[in-house]
Amino acid sequence: MPSLWQVKESKTLEENVYYRRAEAGLDVYVLPKKGYQKKYAIFSTHFGSIDSRFRVAGGEEIAVPDGVAHFLEHKLFEDERGNVFDRFAERGASSNAFTSFTHTTYLFSSTAYFEENLQLLLDFVQEPYFTTESVSKEQGIIEQEIRMYEDNPQWRIFFNMLGCLYHVHPVRIDIAGTVESIRLITPEVLYQCYNTFYHPENMAVFIVGDLDPERIGEQVIKNVDSRGYQPLGGIERIYPDEPSTVKEHRIVETMVVSEPLFHLGFKDPHVTDLTQQELLKREIVTEILLDTMFGNSEPLYNELYEDGLIDEHFNFGFTAETTYGYTLLGGETKDPEQLYERIIEGINRIKKAGIDKESFERHRRSAFGDFLRRFNSLEFIANNYLAYRFRGIDFLSIPEVLHKISIDDVQERLFEHLEDDNHAVSIIKPGETKVEA
Amino acid sequence: MSRGGKVLEGTLNSTVLNNGVEVFLIPTPKFKTVTVNLFLHQTLNRATATETALIPSVLERGSKELPTSLKIRRKLEGLYGARLDSDILKKGERQLIVFSLDLIHDRFTGEGGSLLEKGLSILKSIVANPLVEGKGFKSAYVNQEKEQLAREIRGLINDKMSYAVERCVQEMCAEENFGVYKYGRLEDLASITPEGCYAYYRDLINHNPLQLYIVGDLEPEKVFSLLEEIFAFERGQGRELSPVDVYHKVKEPRYVEERLAVNQGKLTLGFRTGTHYSDDDFFALLFYNGILGGFPHSKLFQNVREKASLAYFAFSRLERHKGILMISSGIEVKNYERALSIINKQVEQMARGEIDLEEMENTRRGLVNQLRVLEDNPYQLINYYLDGYIGGRGDTLEEFLQKIEQVTKDDVVRVAEKIKLDTVYFLRNNQDSNGEGDHLKGGEADA
Repeated sequence: MPSLWQVKESKTLEENVYYRRAEAGLDVYVLPKKGYQKKYAIFSTHFGSIDSRFRVAGGEEIAVPDGVAHFLEHKLFEDERGNVFDRFAERGASSNAFTSFTHTTYLFSSTAYFEENLQLLLDFVQEPYFTTESVSKEQGIIEQEIRMYEDNPQWRIFFNMLGCLYHVHPVRIDIAGTVESIRLITPEVLYQCYNTFYHPENMAVFIVGDLDPERIGEQVIKNVDSRGYQPLGGIERIYPDEPSTVKEHRIVETMVVSEPLFHLGFKDPHVTDLTQQELLKREIVTEILLDTMFGNSEPLYNELYEDGLIDEHFNFGFTAETTYGYTLLGGETKDPEQLYERIIEGINRIKKAGIDKESFERHRRSAFGDFLRRFNSLEFIANNYLAYRFRGIDFLSIPEVLHKISIDDVQERLFEHLEDDNHAVSIIKPGETKVEA
Repeated sequence: MSRGGKVLEGTLNSTVLNNGVEVFLIPTPKFKTVTVNLFLHQTLNRATATETALIPSVLERGSKELPTSLKIRRKLEGLYGARLDSDILKKGERQLIVFSLDLIHDRFTGEGGSLLEKGLSILKSIVANPLVEGKGFKSAYVNQEKEQLAREIRGLINDKMSYAVERCVQEMCAEENFGVYKYGRLEDLASITPEGCYAYYRDLINHNPLQLYIVGDLEPEKVFSLLEEIFAFERGQGRELSPVDVYHKVKEPRYVEERLAVNQGKLTLGFRTGTHYSDDDFFALLFYNGILGGFPHSKLFQNVREKASLAYFAFSRLERHKGILMISSGIEVKNYERALSIINKQVEQMARGEIDLEEMENTRRGLVNQLRVLEDNPYQLINYYLDGYIGGRGDTLEEFLQKIEQVTKDDVVRVAEKIKLDTVYFLRNNQDSNGEGDHLKGGEADA
């Protein structure tokens, strides 16, 4: 009998992915990694902090409080028998979970009892148990998590920026919600979200390590297909109409920091029109564009560094999701106003001169090495594979797309994306804690 | 181990170059990269810490062959995005300058030539042939990097959890070298000159322990002879560094409070364990830390977070070379007394031996898991051997694992009896308990 498992091979990366879809609709991926001690598994749902309004197959529209995806993530770790962390610990595994704007991931890694641990992962994520008492206990813990982030300047400058770039898109709201919004969360709300988004059709599993891919994959299929899931019907995620302009051009917050923090953000309103392949190409082209402009091997970075306007942590990157996209750059600086002027000046200079061919090739080659290097990490492979898959993109195709892009693509992107009227500035100033618009 | 021995995959092969540079190589085919770490060791103390911390960033600015960082970085990018980073480490009372070079393996480039050879040549150029102007480092580089280092030192306050832990250590070890911040002190920057710093560096590189650790799909003999060629610079007589002061007596615990305009309070407790990495008791100390606060199943996480809902994080951490244990938790300021009392109760339980079989065995499995996965990360693997070198412990990973298997509850209780609370540090907001602000300006309490 031919295998039910498809194998996708990447010769460039020297990796193979095994894939099969369960009857219940769950996508299962296994990537064997020879010689590794650790085995790592993740179980993800395409449900993140931005999915707070939705409808299932013609049903009623449902709106839930901000922070519910993250709250649900915390609460799944508890059931009638107590804390799930403890059961992983009994089998020497290290377990955790995280929530992003677009998805929620449950994970563990272990060097022993892998199959038992995998069973536990599959079981606890598929068996919710929410009570009024346990929900109220969690509010105290998450409140402290939110308070911790309130003191984190990197987190504050980031969300202040998103609040400037976006008028109404929920990406502008903190993933954990607010101290007020999480008080509105009840077991009923959690079950409502759970029953919609934690259906196998909306989820995927990725397993990586030195293991027999088909045997371990079948364990997942069997677990999920024995539970009698009925087809879900499509989930319609409802997002408000986001204008293409930025909401505010500038925000300043004062915090206890040693020196100002500065971020410059460019909104990309056009991601919603793209196919999945176009989205990936745009991401890669934009990353290479930013490397050629702001990389630490380029003149602009070195001028700013020598003038003491930036430090080695100066950072930049592009985010392309299906409903929002933006470029962010910045870091700590002694003078945010001057840094702003100099970066805008630098961008205009590069627009006049054009992108240098040598620089483009060098950064492309370097980007390939950077991508390949990260395949040392099991977590990197699994987490990214599913994050890209939820956007409909094959993660292993990145080297191929990188190879195909041209300097003209990058040049074109420079004029289209880094415009004057679609950017905003977010600053953290040293001093007493307060926000001014 | 010496040259000519049989190469075992994943084992440590070593040699000493003619100039005294020690080389450790772990051959393994599983990574896509070749990782090289260079460590230059120095005793941590107030007089030299700042100057030591300044050196790697000055070196990275330019060498004789590659006089600007722009040239260095372009060269590295051309090697398929080779990464070269530098930093400062503090391990016990030792300060280390670290350079790490990370290259993809030649089999992925589809061209001839050795990336390792080219990468090592750049590393050697930076470390052994710095750019010299007159009798010192290039002064523009020194001045710019002094300013950058000042920002780094001041920037500690930007991460409140790290800040609280570091401040607790500084209070606790104010009279010991361990109390010195790894990046040094602002007040020492002004007196550093390009000439003085260069002379100091020449002395360091000529006499202090200098090591290379390499992990990747490589043949040791080939790499050793390549290194003998590339790293053939003159060095003088080796120097022994002073041992760490671990067995420090504690009288009464000290309570320190600091006020900043923060939302969340950070409660940090510092303990002396009286146990060094090289002691037989060290393995039981690992259990002590694991049962108390190293894992989600530990007493601190279970009681401070899960039962009392007082915190999002509550954990303990061991500094194995200095033998101190730190507890850290983020809480509402008004819950200080409650949180402290719950934490103290967990520590008392440990001392009374109130440790059940499940805690003991979950911790054992957790420690085994942590140790096994070290092998999956080249940097962690190198760090394991470096710790062994500094701490005078030569266990292979297998030997280490066996010692973890042998630890009993009695061992943990014996270790618990030696553990003494030294300092309780609380970073809190500016409001008094009656709700009125006292307007202490943020950032100024760091004296």
